[in-house]
Amino acid sequence: MLILTSTARVFSFAWKNFVRNAWIWLATVLVLVLALLSVNTLVGVNAVASSAIGVLEDKIDLSVYFKPGTPVAVLDQARSYMSSLPQTSNVDLITDAQALESFKKRHAQDPNILSALDQLEQNPFGASMVIKARNTNDYPFLIQALNNPQFNFAVESQTYDDHATAIDRVRKIAASIRYFGTVLTAIFVIFSALIVYNAIRVAIYTMREEIGIMRLVGASNAFVRLPLIIDALLLAAFSLAITAGMIVGMIAFFEPRIRTFFDGADPGLQAYYVTNYLQLLVLQAVIMVSVVSLAAWAAVGRYLKR
Amino acid sequence: MITLKHVSKVYPPDVHGLRDISLFIAPGEFVSIVGSSGAGKTTLAKMLIAEEQPTRGTIEIGGWDITHIKNRDIPYLRRQIGVVFQDFKLLKKKTVWENVAFALEVAGEPRRRIRETVPHVLKIVGLEQKAQRFPHQLSGGEQQRVVIARALVHRPKILLADEPTGNLDTMNTNEIIDVLKKINAFGSTVVLVTHNREVVNALHSRVITLADGRVAADHEQGKYLLPT
Repeated sequence: MLILTSTARVFSFAWKNFVRNAWIWLATVLVLVLALLSVNTLVGVNAVASSAIGVLEDKIDLSVYFKPGTPVAVLDQARSYMSSLPQTSNVDLITDAQALESFKKRHAQDPNILSALDQLEQNPFGASMVIKARNTNDYPFLIQALNNPQFNFAVESQTYDDHATAIDRVRKIAASIRYFGTVLTAIFVIFSALIVYNAIRVAIYTMREEIGIMRLVGASNAFVRLPLIIDALLLAAFSLAITAGMIVGMIAFFEPRIRTFFDGADPGLQAYYVTNYLQLLVLQAVIMVSVVSLAAWAAVGRYLKR
Repeated sequence: MITLKHVSKVYPPDVHGLRDISLFIAPGEFVSIVGSSGAGKTTLAKMLIAEEQPTRGTIEIGGWDITHIKNRDIPYLRRQIGVVFQDFKLLKKKTVWENVAFALEVAGEPRRRIRETVPHVLKIVGLEQKAQRFPHQLSGGEQQRVVIARALVHRPKILLADEPTGNLDTMNTNEIIDVLKKINAFGSTVVLVTHNREVVNALHSRVITLADGRVAADHEQGKYLLPT
């Protein structure tokens, strides 16, 4: 009965304290929201950067041009072999007839080109093969694989070498962005945790006199500590909820505006949050709850010595 | 009731708060502890509520040796000693009722007992009409009476008042002293720490005079002996 009464009073004091110190808590909530927003913004920027890198990487492929008149059996052999490699994501074979057809379609409005084409007795186009790797790091391996003697004699040229430097640069930038994005996010998480820790300490510092009085009239350490820890947890909950609401608003505002940078493609911001937000929220809640509880525990402890 | 044996307090590096004090205060006494600033009055008061620990000697309250009291036992000691301070020490965000009730709530007292006790003690100090006011809505004398009411809720055997009239005018001072006398008449031991000559001389009770951390005088029907 005593435990029930005391527990009810702890919650009651926590709530009254929360309401009556609204201004202190409001200021603290603002600091907590700013800390959470900074981390979430960085996570969002990382997601957009990853998405941009993905779009760029998706544009990378290896085009192989075969000599005109290469037999279909050799082409099939080449496609079959390249498709069978685990490093290959997709292989598109364009026969010489499809290449000619495609050329004609592209220049349907240009009679000069079409008549010049008609002058030729043979199809001037050779077949080609567009290979996409699962990972940009796999392209050098796929280029080596093209040296297969079963079909390499028929290869006239391949484009990867022309773009190798650009592709390598994109690859390095992508790796750097991912690496620094992770490091920066980790640093922000640590800074934010420190800010949150100190915000709670400052809030409790303003109540040190009150804590002293509670002790003076015979409140046990637990009775002083628990309501303040509950208040800190309430702050964490409010901050997480406010931040979540602001993120929804920010995504709705920014996503259509950054779409133009992606040539109208989906920047993936909303998709990223829809897929990962629950996980992100749980992670932030765990960190937040741990930090505020620890901060409140330690901050109150300073005023409970005697 | 209160026994101090050879109690000394030294603050680092070598500031002596109290020097070899031995005292016995019997149940039901009204004792004034007087002395000039730095004489050791407040140090002594803080030791009685375990806010300070003696460097040497022993302190017993009602047979309980509190010399090396554990941190977790301090709340139980403080529920047995009513404490009144010069600066009131009221919870500003709580009403008069809540301030008084708080002392019972932290002790886990049932709600029914709180509902009975709080109006009773507020009546003793004459504040039953101002139960829903916040401390800043009260005069200094009224705030001090709230503190006394809060100190009384546990029906303490000892009431320790450290300069309770220090911030009050003459009229409020007299009111507070009357309340303390009333509490003493109910049987509680009252330890009044003060430097108010008029108050001490009007009480005609035991006066312990401290000087430089020592007991300079201890008279049953004492007077304020120090020069002002």
